[in-house]
Amino acid sequence: MNNEGNKDMAHRQHVKYFMRFLNILPSSLSSHDTTRVTIAYFSVAGLDVLGSISAISLDLRSRIIEWLYRLQVHPDKETGDMSLCGFQGSSTINIRLDPDNNQFRCGHLAMTYTGLCILLALGDDLSRINRTALIQGVKALQTDEGNFSATLSGCESDMRFVYCAACISYILNDWSGFDIEKATDYVIKSIGYDYGIAQCPELESHGGTTFCALATLALTDQLDKLSEAQIDGLKRWLVYRQIDGFQGRPNKPVDTCYSFWVGASLKILNALQLTNYGSNRRYVYETQDMVVGGFSKWPDTCTDPMHTYLGLSGLSLIGESGLLEIEPRLNITKRAYEHLKCLHEQWVS
Amino acid sequence: MSDCGDSDVLWIPYKERPEWSDVTPVPEDDGPNPVVVIAHSEKFEDVYDYFRAVLQSNEKSERVLHLTKDALELNPANYTVWQYRRDLLKHLNTDLRTELDYVEAVIKNSPKNYQVWHHRRVLVEWLQDPTMELELTGDALLQDPKNYHAWQHRQWAIKTFGLYEKELDFVDNLITDDVRNNSAWNQRYFVVNNNLGWSDLICQQEVCYTLEKINFVKNNESAWNYLRGLLIHDKRGLSGNAVITSFCEELYKNKCRSPFLLAFIIDVCEDAIKKKDTNCFHNADRAVELCQALATRYDKIRSKYWNYLCERYKKYQSEQLSNDNKTNDLIIDE
Ligand SMILES: [Zn+2]
Repeated sequence: MNNEGNKDMAHRQHVKYFMRFLNILPSSLSSHDTTRVTIAYFSVAGLDVLGSISAISLDLRSRIIEWLYRLQVHPDKETGDMSLCGFQGSSTINIRLDPDNNQFRCGHLAMTYTGLCILLALGDDLSRINRTALIQGVKALQTDEGNFSATLSGCESDMRFVYCAACISYILNDWSGFDIEKATDYVIKSIGYDYGIAQCPELESHGGTTFCALATLALTDQLDKLSEAQIDGLKRWLVYRQIDGFQGRPNKPVDTCYSFWVGASLKILNALQLTNYGSNRRYVYETQDMVVGGFSKWPDTCTDPMHTYLGLSGLSLIGESGLLEIEPRLNITKRAYEHLKCLHEQWVS
Repeated sequence: MSDCGDSDVLWIPYKERPEWSDVTPVPEDDGPNPVVVIAHSEKFEDVYDYFRAVLQSNEKSERVLHLTKDALELNPANYTVWQYRRDLLKHLNTDLRTELDYVEAVIKNSPKNYQVWHHRRVLVEWLQDPTMELELTGDALLQDPKNYHAWQHRQWAIKTFGLYEKELDFVDNLITDDVRNNSAWNQRYFVVNNNLGWSDLICQQEVCYTLEKINFVKNNESAWNYLRGLLIHDKRGLSGNAVITSFCEELYKNKCRSPFLLAFIIDVCEDAIKKKDTNCFHNADRAVELCQALATRYDKIRSKYWNYLCERYKKYQSEQLSNDNKTNDLIIDE
């Protein structure tokens, strides 16, 4: 690809790109079968950051919303138990099950979080969300260590799901299912000797998990629990991730998505302005497909909705024109965030 | 892996298998107007229609165990199938050793899949037998020495079952292969921190080891980070270890301008300033000078960051100056 001709936003192509993913996906994406909600999130949030949420017709909008609400797991009709509540990522296991194996039809924190983000971007009022049930679903997933499992039926627990749980609690404005002290403790324990933050204590520091950790501290208003040395160290570790674009770990290749993960982390620490916007921007544009739309992690490789959305939101963080502003903690547009704030006011009164 | 995957020609759909004729497949119900629809293959739909059917009837049998294998081959990320498979293993009292072999094969094909590593961990927990784990993760790290999943599983096994004995050798080999392998440096810290402990002797050994690696490749963030990390455990702090400070000054004198060296000296200056223990090498003036050198010459991509730090040291400079003046005033007063 000729990078010289690749400095401008292929806006129209990206809109088409996301619209395609909202409709139908090739069978090669079968391994995303249980996480279709996240693909819908990248597409809707992507259109939103492009300022093109109106490209979604009223009909498609209501189809997306109806489809999502069908994935909401409701409290057990017999027992009233809410521990399985949340969103499923698809209708693969959206079937009626006997009480003995009912646990297989359960919410997944990443799907609940991204599902809520889609509803916010589409301007839904969340009135059909069973807020109490979702919060109980979150509560059932926090471990003694302070982190969260993704689901009740046999999943790993790590920093990603701490972040998803924090976002859900923040969006629903209810922290009764989230032990902030325990989660903060987990985050602090996961800070490495190089001051980056890992998926779990003692693992290697990572740009994605550093974002999850810092956004959690920001959403729970716990950033002041970091020492001065930790904040200085985090800033250093994060600005060091810039090569031209950003890498996720020291001595790893640069990847478009870290323009968001690392960029948003620095934004949360009010230090993004210490990076080189020009180089960052140039790298992200090198991974743009001008013809069919989309961004990939590396130049001249396959595009995907995740890198496309994160590439765009990474550009938005550095003030790229033609893009809506991003609320870095929740990874939604400021526009969607304003809608959320209106809902919060309604819920209080 | 499964014998049906590679040769789709021989594939017989479940709906055409006489031994499954007693089961009515349950199609996916995605509502009247679904979005983000995946155009699954016929095979995918067939297998998952039958998986839904047995999940609904809660059938726990050998044939279902085979069915889960087919389902996982089509989508190894389906955590529900993995969990159901674990329930089946328990219920059928399956030999977990053969299951370990099976997971190993799946890991070889999908080394970056969360679910399969989780499955592995549960099996090892059930068996309370970690004898295969170092080799398994070692193989995965041979393919990709920075595979996060493999490191996570390895650390878990080592920590849970106390398998530290040969880990430092393993790490040393990886660092010898690629001195920039940050995952390996992290693992080195993990071993020392949990097993050897940061005694004075170990600290010294680690300092020597790291300085040797830095001498080999000076422009290597991983080694410099490790050096800074291990000094957390040195009571003398960043600025008090003469072996390190003279090593750095020697490099500097020999015209090394690795940004990591300059940054390290800045940190030494900062430590000295904070401890009010500055000297002719490590003081606010030097920190300012190095920040400026980084910003304008040696690490231009981070010029804004170095300028920001520079401001901090300029403040120290002026404080230093006003303190000096106060001292002078006192002398004059006397
Ligand atoms: Zn990426």
